[in-house]
Amino acid sequence: MSLSETFVRARSKYFPDHMIGEVLTKRWSDNAVPFAALILVVAVFGTINPSMFSSFGLFDLAGQVSEYGLMAIALTVVMIAGGIDLSIGSIFALCALTILAALNVYNLPLGLTVLMTVGVGALCGAVNGLLIGYMRLRAFLTTLVTLIMFRSVYEIIMPNFATKIVMGLPDSFIWNEMGLGSLGGLPYAVYLAAIIAIVWHILLSRSRPGWQMAAVGGSRRSAFNAGIKVRRVVFMTYVYSGILVALAAVFYGARLNGIGTDTGVGIEITVLTGVVLGGTTLGGGRGSVAKALMGTVIVLILQNGLLQMGLLGTTSAMILGLVLLFGVWVDVRWLKNREKLLNSSYVSPAYLKLPDAPDPEDGGVYAVNDGLANSKPLALGDVEGPEDVAIDKDGNLYSGSRHGEIHRWLAPDYTQHEIFAHIGGGTYGMNFDKDGNLCVCVGGMGLYMVTPEREVVKLTDETNRTPWSIIDDSRLRLADDLDIAPDGKIFFSEATYRYSGHEWQVDMLESRGNGRIICYDPATKTTKTVLGNRIFPNGIVCLPDNQSLLFCETWACRLMRFWYDGPNKGKVEEVIGNLPGYPDNINRASDGNIWLCLIGMRAPVLDMAMTRPGFRRRMTRRVAPANWLYPNINMGCLVKITPEGEVIEAFWDKDCVNHPMPTSCKEDRGHLFIGGVSNNRIGKWPIPGADPEWSEHSKWEQNT
Amino acid sequence: MIRALLDRTDKFLGRGKYSIAVPVMDGPLHPNHKLDHAAHLFDAKDIDNLTLIGTDIWCSSGAALLRVSADGTPEVADTFDAPITCLAASGDGATAIGVDGGGIYIRGGAHNGRHIEKLGGNALKCATAVAFEDDHSLVITVGARDRVHAEWKRDLMTQGRTGEVWRVDLTNGTGKMLAGGLGYPYGICPTPNGLAVSEAWAHRIILIDESGQITPVLEDLPGYPARLVPDTAGGYVLAVFAPRNQLVEFVLREPEFLHAMTTQVPSDHWIAPKLMWGQGFKEPMQGAALKTMGIIKPWAPTWSYGLVVSLDDGFAPVASYHSRADGNRHGVTSVCAQGDKILVASKGAGVCVALSPNAVAEAN
Repeated sequence: MSLSETFVRARSKYFPDHMIGEVLTKRWSDNAVPFAALILVVAVFGTINPSMFSSFGLFDLAGQVSEYGLMAIALTVVMIAGGIDLSIGSIFALCALTILAALNVYNLPLGLTVLMTVGVGALCGAVNGLLIGYMRLRAFLTTLVTLIMFRSVYEIIMPNFATKIVMGLPDSFIWNEMGLGSLGGLPYAVYLAAIIAIVWHILLSRSRPGWQMAAVGGSRRSAFNAGIKVRRVVFMTYVYSGILVALAAVFYGARLNGIGTDTGVGIEITVLTGVVLGGTTLGGGRGSVAKALMGTVIVLILQNGLLQMGLLGTTSAMILGLVLLFGVWVDVRWLKNREKLLNSSYVSPAYLKLPDAPDPEDGGVYAVNDGLANSKPLALGDVEGPEDVAIDKDGNLYSGSRHGEIHRWLAPDYTQHEIFAHIGGGTYGMNFDKDGNLCVCVGGMGLYMVTPEREVVKLTDETNRTPWSIIDDSRLRLADDLDIAPDGKIFFSEATYRYSGHEWQVDMLESRGNGRIICYDPATKTTKTVLGNRIFPNGIVCLPDNQSLLFCETWACRLMRFWYDGPNKGKVEEVIGNLPGYPDNINRASDGNIWLCLIGMRAPVLDMAMTRPGFRRRMTRRVAPANWLYPNINMGCLVKITPEGEVIEAFWDKDCVNHPMPTSCKEDRGHLFIGGVSNNRIGKWPIPGADPEWSEHSKWEQNT
Repeated sequence: MIRALLDRTDKFLGRGKYSIAVPVMDGPLHPNHKLDHAAHLFDAKDIDNLTLIGTDIWCSSGAALLRVSADGTPEVADTFDAPITCLAASGDGATAIGVDGGGIYIRGGAHNGRHIEKLGGNALKCATAVAFEDDHSLVITVGARDRVHAEWKRDLMTQGRTGEVWRVDLTNGTGKMLAGGLGYPYGICPTPNGLAVSEAWAHRIILIDESGQITPVLEDLPGYPARLVPDTAGGYVLAVFAPRNQLVEFVLREPEFLHAMTTQVPSDHWIAPKLMWGQGFKEPMQGAALKTMGIIKPWAPTWSYGLVVSLDDGFAPVASYHSRADGNRHGVTSVCAQGDKILVASKGAGVCVALSPNAVAEAN
C-alpha cells in the first residue's frame, strides 16, 4: 500500500466527514453562524475595550440585554408567523410612560401598574393584530403607520407628566430594588427576563401555539389547509409582541426612572438588526429565542463598544445599518444554499479495500450458467418489490411489497391472491415464528408482527441510542432482514441508519459501516443493539447452537459469523471474505446448507473507486444522483454454501430477464421461492435433489 | 497568480473547464423510438461503412467487405487482414477501402491498385473516413496519428488530439495536411464551402476551407459524432455513435482515477462510452439504469445510445432518430441516404435498418 493510500485510508477512518452533513440536518445548525459572530464580537471588543466586561460594564450591559432581549423575542414571535412589527419602539415608549405615570404620579400599587402597562402593550398589539391579522393589511406598512400613531399619542401625553414623573417618588421597595439591586452582580431584571425567555423558548419550540406560528409563517396556505386558524394566530402574535414590549418597558422604567422625548426612538432598527443577525428569517417560519438573544447581545456589544470608542451616534447608526444589511444578505444566501450544502455534503464516502475475489468469468464454482432457466414467475405484475418471501405451514406464499402490504398467494398454484395485511412501510425480511406469527422488518418503521388473525403488532421501533451520535439513531430507519433464534429471540439487521429504504444504494457510495445487528427479546419486550458499525448488514441466519448467527455485509462482500451468547460471546469471525458479488439475504436450505443471494457482481472500476473516497465524494457533489456510479445490480445469482463457508454451487438467470437482482430466496418443500426488491415477480424454482418435505417450520418441530 | 486562483475556484465549484454539464436532447433532438421502429434490413456483425456504389449498397462487417444483393441479403465481396475502417466510391467506379492499421487501398477506376500507406512520413494507421472530391483527389480523416481505430476508447479517455485531415492526389500519391491537432475526426463530407468534418471528441462539426481555416458549424452535440453524409433531399445526415455522459465527463476530469482505470482495467469495463452496453456484469452501472419492475427506463443513463440526426444545408439539426436506453439499435457509426430512405448501420447491435422519414412519422 502506497503512502498516499495509507493517508487516504487513515483520513477516512479517523476524520468524521459524515458528521458535517449530519450537523447540517439539525435545525440548531443555523445558530452556528450567529454564535461564531458573537464570539468574534466579544473577542474584538473585549480586547479593544476591556472595561466593557468589567463587573460594572457587565451590570450595565445585562440590564440592556434584558430589555432589548425581550423586545427581540417580541419581534421574533411576530416574524416567525411571517409578519413584522416596526411599532415596538413606540409601544415601548407608551408603556414606559404608563408605568412611570401610574407609579410616580398616581402612586398606584406596583402590581396594578404592571398590569396596566401590560394592558396598554396588549392593546397596542391588538390594534396591529386586528389590522394585519383580521383585516389582512400589509404588516410592514401597517406597523410603520402605527409606529407614527403611537408615537404621536406618546408625544401628546408625555409633556403633561414629564416633570411630575421626575418629581414623584414611588413608594415601593420591590420597584427600587428592581432598578438598583443586584444578585450575583447582575440586575434582577436579567433573571426575570431569563425566566420569560425560557418560557417562550418552550412555548415556541415545544407547544402547539408555537408550532402553529411557525406553520403560518412557513406556509400560510398549508397552515390554513391543515386547519389552523391563520388570522387568529397572526392576531395573537402581535398581542404577544405588545405584552413582551410592555414587560421590557417595565424593566426600563425601573432602571432609569425617567422618560424623555427620545425614549424608544430607533429601538425597532436595533432590535430588528439583532433578530436578523441571530438568524431569524424575514420571510417567516424560522426563528428561535436563542437566535434572538444571540443577535441582541451582538448588537448591544457593537453599539456600546462603538460608543465607548468615542464614535458619534450617527456613525454608529451607519455601522449598525451596514450590519443589518449584512445580516439580511447572509439570511438570504443561507436560506437559498443550506439545502444545497446539505445535499452536497451529506454523502461521505469511506475507504474500503475489497480483497481479490474469484472471477465468475474464469469458471470455477461461480461460473455463469443457466441454472435458473426453469424458474417459473409467480405473481407477475401483481406484486412490486417483494424483497423477501415466506411460506406458511399450509404452503401459502407471502411477500412484502414497496406499497407497504403483505400479499398472500394461496397454495397450491399461487394464482389466487389477497392482501394479507397492510402495514404501511416497505416490507423487507420476513419469517414465521414458532406460533405462526409472521415477523417482518419494515423500512422506516421497525420490526412488526402479523398474527395468523391478521392483526398487525408493532414489536419495536427503537433501540438504544449510540452515545454522542448526532443523528438520533435510536429510531429504526432501515430494518432489513431478520431471523428467529431457537429460543425465540428475534435478531434483525438495520442496514444503515443514514439512509432510508428508497435510497439504500447510496449507502454503498459511503461504505462506512452505518449498519448494526439488533436483538428483540419477546420475553422481556426489550430491544438492544448487539453489534454496530457494520457495512450494510443484510441477510441473517441464526444457527442451531443458539449462540451465534451468520450475517452478510453487502458492500463489504463478505459473510460473517457473530456470537451473541456462550463462551465466545461478542466474537465476530469472517466466514467468506471474498465473495465475487454483493450478498443480500441468506436462508436455510433443506440439506443443512445456506442459500445466499448475490444482488450484483463486483465491477473492477467500482472496486477501484472504493479505495478512492475523494473520488466518490467529488462525484456525489458534481454528478446528478441518477448518474452516480453504482454496483451493477442488474445481474446477480444465487449461491449455495455450507455454514462453514465453503461455496458449493452458483445458479444464474443468464439473461437476467426473470431475476435481474435476486434479494432473497426461501426453500420450501422442494422449491425455491425467489424475491427481488426491484422486481415485479416471485420466482418458483424446483431445486434439483431437494428434500420435498422440508420447510422452514421444520426447525421448530425439531426443537420442540 | 490570479489565474491560478480562479482555476482553483473553478475546480472547487465545478465551473468553466471543470464543468461536467452535458447538453440535453431537446428541440429537434427530442428523444423518440424511431430507430427501434425502423425496418430491419439484414444482420451483420460489427456492420459499418454503409456506402452506395452505383445503386448497390456496400458495407463492411469486421474485415469483410459486403455487397447487399437485390433481394437484401449481404454477401462477402472481399476480405482484408484487419477490420475495414472506411469506405468510399467515386463517380468512375473506383472504391477506397481503409483498413485498421493498414492504410487505404484503391480498387477500380483510373488508379486501381494504389495503396496509401503513409501520409507525411507517418504510417496511416487510423483512417476513419474517406471521400472522393473528384476521380483523382481523395480526402481522408485520420482519427489518431499513432493509434489504430480499435483503440478509439483509449484515445477518447486520454483526450487524444492527434487527429488530422489530409488531401491525397491519386495521380502521384502525394498528400497535403489540411488540418491537424483535431479530436478524432470521424466523418468527412465535401461541401461547396469546404470540407465538413465531424470531430468526435470535440462533439462538433467543423468546416475546413481551402486555406486550412477551421470554422465550427455545429457545436455542443449531446453525443460523439461519426460519419456525415449528404442527404438526397438536400442537407446532411449525421451518425452519432455514443452519448455523452456526466459521469464520463467527470472521470475525464479526475486524472488519478482515469490513469488507474485506463492502465489496470480492460477497456470493456471502463466508465466510458460504448457501442453497446449491458453485456456483462463487470460493466459499471449508473444509478437510474437499475432495472425496476422488469423494465429499464428509456431515460436511464447508459454507455451507449442510437442517434441519427438530419441536418439542413447550414448544418442545423432538423430531425433526429433515436434508440434509447430501453432500445438496442445502439452505436450507429455510419448512415447512407438512398432515395427517400436513410440506411442506418448500428454497429453495436450488428444490424442494418432503413429509416423512411414518412413511414416513421406515421408509425409514431
